[in-house]
Amino acid sequence: MAQAGQDAKFFTRGKIEEFKADLHAADAKDKKFVKRKTVLKKIVANITMGNDMSPLFTDVVQSLGTPLLEIKKMVYLFLVSYGRSAKPEQINMVIPFFLQDVNDRNPLIRALAIRTMSYIPIPVVTDALTESLRHCLRDRDPYVRKTAAICVAKLYAADPRRAEKGGFVEMLRDLMLDANATVVANAVAALSEIGDRPDGVIFKLNLTAANKLLSALDESSEWGQIYIMDSLLRFVPERHSDAEIMAERIVVQLQHANSAVVLTTIKILLYLMNYMENRRLIEYLCKKMGPPLVALLSSGPEVQYVALRNILLIIQRRPAVLKNDVKVFFCKYNDPIYVKLAKLEIMYRLARAENCREVLAELQEYASEVDVDFVRKAVRSIGRLAIKVEPGADGCIQTLLELIEAGLAYVVQEAVIVIKDIFRRYPGKYEGIIPKLCEHLDSLDEPESKAAIVWIIGQFADRIDNADDLLEVLVDTFLEESVEVQLALLTATVKLFIYKSKSEKAKELVHKILKWATEEVDNPDLRDRGFMYWRMLAINPTLAGEIVLAEKPPITTDSDRMDRGALDQLLLHTGTLGSIYHKNPETFIRNAAGRALTDSPALNPNSRAVLVHLPRPQIPGPPISVQGRGPVERPPNQPPTTTGPPGLAPTDSLIPGEDAAPAPPLPPRRNPAPQDSHTDDDDAGDDSDNDAETAQNRNDDPYSNLDSAFSTYLADEPKPMGAGAHRGRNDDDLLF
Amino acid sequence: MGIDGLIILDNAGRSIIQSGFRSTTPAYPLLQIDAVNTALAAASRPTDVDPVIQVQHPSNSDIPSACCHVACGDLRILCPISGNVDPLVGFAFLQTFVDILQEYFGGVSLAIVKDNFDVVYQLLEETLDSVGHPLTTSHNALRDIVLPPSLFSKLLNAATANLAAIGGGTPIQGPPAGPFSSQIPWRKAGVKYASNEMYIDVNENLQAIVNKQGVPLTSSAYGKIEVACRLSGTPDCTLNFTNPQVMTDCSFHPCVRLQRWSRDKHMSFIPPDGHFVLAEYRYTPNTNSNSAITRFANPSSTAPSPKEVVPIPFAIKAKFEVEETTGTNGATGRAASFPGTLSATVMLMLTTRPIENVFVELNLGESAHAIKCVASRESGGLGRGLSALESGHAGSASASWSFDSRKKVLRWEIPNVPPSTHWSLQGSFAASTTPPRPSHALQVRFEIQSHTFSALKVDQLKITGEGYKPYKGVRGRSTGNVEWRW
Repeated sequence: MAQAGQDAKFFTRGKIEEFKADLHAADAKDKKFVKRKTVLKKIVANITMGNDMSPLFTDVVQSLGTPLLEIKKMVYLFLVSYGRSAKPEQINMVIPFFLQDVNDRNPLIRALAIRTMSYIPIPVVTDALTESLRHCLRDRDPYVRKTAAICVAKLYAADPRRAEKGGFVEMLRDLMLDANATVVANAVAALSEIGDRPDGVIFKLNLTAANKLLSALDESSEWGQIYIMDSLLRFVPERHSDAEIMAERIVVQLQHANSAVVLTTIKILLYLMNYMENRRLIEYLCKKMGPPLVALLSSGPEVQYVALRNILLIIQRRPAVLKNDVKVFFCKYNDPIYVKLAKLEIMYRLARAENCREVLAELQEYASEVDVDFVRKAVRSIGRLAIKVEPGADGCIQTLLELIEAGLAYVVQEAVIVIKDIFRRYPGKYEGIIPKLCEHLDSLDEPESKAAIVWIIGQFADRIDNADDLLEVLVDTFLEESVEVQLALLTATVKLFIYKSKSEKAKELVHKILKWATEEVDNPDLRDRGFMYWRMLAINPTLAGEIVLAEKPPITTDSDRMDRGALDQLLLHTGTLGSIYHKNPETFIRNAAGRALTDSPALNPNSRAVLVHLPRPQIPGPPISVQGRGPVERPPNQPPTTTGPPGLAPTDSLIPGEDAAPAPPLPPRRNPAPQDSHTDDDDAGDDSDNDAETAQNRNDDPYSNLDSAFSTYLADEPKPMGAGAHRGRNDDDLLF
Repeated sequence: MGIDGLIILDNAGRSIIQSGFRSTTPAYPLLQIDAVNTALAAASRPTDVDPVIQVQHPSNSDIPSACCHVACGDLRILCPISGNVDPLVGFAFLQTFVDILQEYFGGVSLAIVKDNFDVVYQLLEETLDSVGHPLTTSHNALRDIVLPPSLFSKLLNAATANLAAIGGGTPIQGPPAGPFSSQIPWRKAGVKYASNEMYIDVNENLQAIVNKQGVPLTSSAYGKIEVACRLSGTPDCTLNFTNPQVMTDCSFHPCVRLQRWSRDKHMSFIPPDGHFVLAEYRYTPNTNSNSAITRFANPSSTAPSPKEVVPIPFAIKAKFEVEETTGTNGATGRAASFPGTLSATVMLMLTTRPIENVFVELNLGESAHAIKCVASRESGGLGRGLSALESGHAGSASASWSFDSRKKVLRWEIPNVPPSTHWSLQGSFAASTTPPRPSHALQVRFEIQSHTFSALKVDQLKITGEGYKPYKGVRGRSTGNVEWRW
């Protein structure tokens, strides 16, 4: 870029004069416009090189009178680049050309004219556009109509109120019934774009409209299909059968060649499943979704990555989808690292007692690779596997020990960290391996692993004969350690003292460390904890022992799954940036419209129990009401709205902006979902338990545990069983 | 949802062509380019960069966006997306655009793009709207609006009578009703060929991982039916297979009538003009749709039966030894050196056809050097006992090896492996500072002509709706990518 700029410095001035002269020369005798075309081509080339060609504005615009499409295209390209910054009199000069071209015989030129006008958001141009657009939306040529549809969205972006007053939104809605599928798709795209604006008209679909759109699906281009299917998220099924029939209609799109179409289809199916009752259909759909997802893995690494991140979300909510496909996710040596890491996470998620052995063998293979980052994650996954799958724990421990034997420093560190958690998951089962760990004490130099081994020594000080010696060595460097290790050392020493209160060495150690912690250290956490231990030990050592060595609740990895309600919400964003980063878009994208499941009589009870409500931002300004015709229909036998409060009543296809007030929240439901046969989950037992729990434990902010859950790649650190959000290894021992 | 634009970078990371970015600030594309270049510079290998890069605005973190990017020859094409957009839309669009360039220019490279920048610009204008809606991407429709360069130059040269007509506004050479007049979005109206032909290529790609014991862990073949169609008018084709059951998890070009396929496994379609991918599928041996269901219903039987694995057409035995000679050799002054030996043998299991262009790659790890190898043909057929010298040189039918000292990859190439022959590679290497840690997997690529793993067979290709008798041809080809652990 910089070089091009330098070239510009040298040549611009001369060239502009040259071009000007050439353009005038082309006026003289150039019947076939060959010269003019060549000059314009050079000018466009210069624009692309980053040279400022705006001084030529007047001269170039004159060429717009040339009745040749090629030339018009290049002039319009020029206008698009400099129109926005042009002087008023210059723009005024172009307007007549615009108006002339809008009525040209050639549909390509008509479309080109309105498209270019919509790119120049200057009031004069917008004025001209408003008039022409009305005709073009009714043009007999579909190419013009489809271009015009998109231009409405741009007009709306430039001047929302004018677009509403001009009735363009209604015209777009009429275009949704157009005979040409491309026009329909573009109308939907424009309406969606308007609907996603925080100040836009709400865009909703009723059953008739949704069905109309579906019938245009087969003839649409792939992009059109994406728009149309995406808009189905704006349809809220009122009856189970509506959702089921619709799902059956779109399920065939899973066979589409375009991966984006496939992923959008999956998103809609997952959405519709929330409104279904028929368990067999849900199972069937889950089964149908697996193969296309797997097929995405035979594409390039980029598509694989996006697919894998989405698969990770999907299998958390619908584990049945890829239950038996864990082998597909085995990593190849040549996979890019981001693909490997994503696959690793999915392998862990899909691991069960039945396939544990295969997964473990695979993880062991990865642990011998060269890439340090990947090896560490593999080792950590082995530990998590042990915690998750009890029957496989023995094998995992065995593997970890073998890896420790091999003695690679980073492998040992990682193994020690996970083994600490394994001790907590299976108390009293594997403590025999502690001596082996202690042999590698010297190779632990990272805070996390050091803290882990210190915890192990402290916790099992009664079984380690030389625990006091080991701690003494570790305590020596207390003041240089990181806070994490200091806290662990403090607690471990206190434990040692409680176990071996007779030992002189322990007494000496605990005294030294308490003094350091309370006098030499600046960190308030550490100091407070030091004081607390000191007081406890001073007042009642026996009671202190009971508190410090109280039985720990066993840990599990089950609670690491994301909150059900948040998961439902995230799945509405399947295949979007949100699903890549595992965050809801409105939390990281300005102006992103949030999406949430909408309550309706058909919503199944489990989904309703975890429903997340989404306030729509209140827009200042007068309420706008948009009247209009269009497909308006209520289901004939729709029950009076019994479930939702009035604000959530089913609405027609377009609601005026004034309804944009935040939807009143549902009355809090104290009762967890009825746990009857209608659970929509494939692993019903597991999930309904969770539902009951999450429904009660859910805190008000649905994203509160999202950030923590996915802040690191390894989402699920083991947490205390049954405990809600509170985590953090530092207060493990302080059960207040 | 929207794609913000498209930027084509050269291999030095400079932008050569980019779309207008009219709905964003001028700095925006620069930030995107910068983010990608920074990420590429930071990564040790260019393939390690996340394909979706979150772009931080330097002053306003409120403006979030991400950048999808793919490498394409000596170019890198970026597709910035913002708002909550499906990155797959970005990648699908990138792929489509690359395909379009391929169709227009017959290749994608820096030189080609620079030579045809005006056409590329026109294509950008037509395929992507300024706020990021993909517009016309079907090649057949595009050719009506943007002239391919050959035709364009022809027209420029033949500047005569019909220019007046063009000036009048009718699109050049197009059908009288103008573009988008075709009722079928993927096929343009009024196609005419002197000789009508249709060629079908069935390409299958084997993806497999084989464990230390030589047992395939995973192995599946992905098939692609590619069609080159040069047929006049609006032909209606029906493609039958003798064994359609070998195709599972099919996905189709939009032209295929899905209802018909699910009814009687006939692919019925009106083809687009030119080259296109008709269908993709996965080959599962012994396909019995019931087995899939029972496996689903009965989660305890997770391990697929051996029959479900596509057999690998060759076998490899590899041995790798490292001696540690710490400080014994004081004369060289080195503290430690780690000489190692390796040997590998490839055997062909296939008895009918040779496999071709076999590439075996092995990463030897950091600090590997002093590679000495002998690639030879061990047994089977003629030419037994070829001397090392002969086989080391690039005879058309003999094996050779090379070492990429930058990537530390040992590459062993066998151009042609006839049935039931053994080929071997013996060699030694040394590593200076650390014990060598070669990767525990050999990457094997190969091709087999006129062979498909699935043995998919076309029964009949019927073309109706037009009066001519076209020439039809079907051909099979297999490629493979196998990871062989040892």
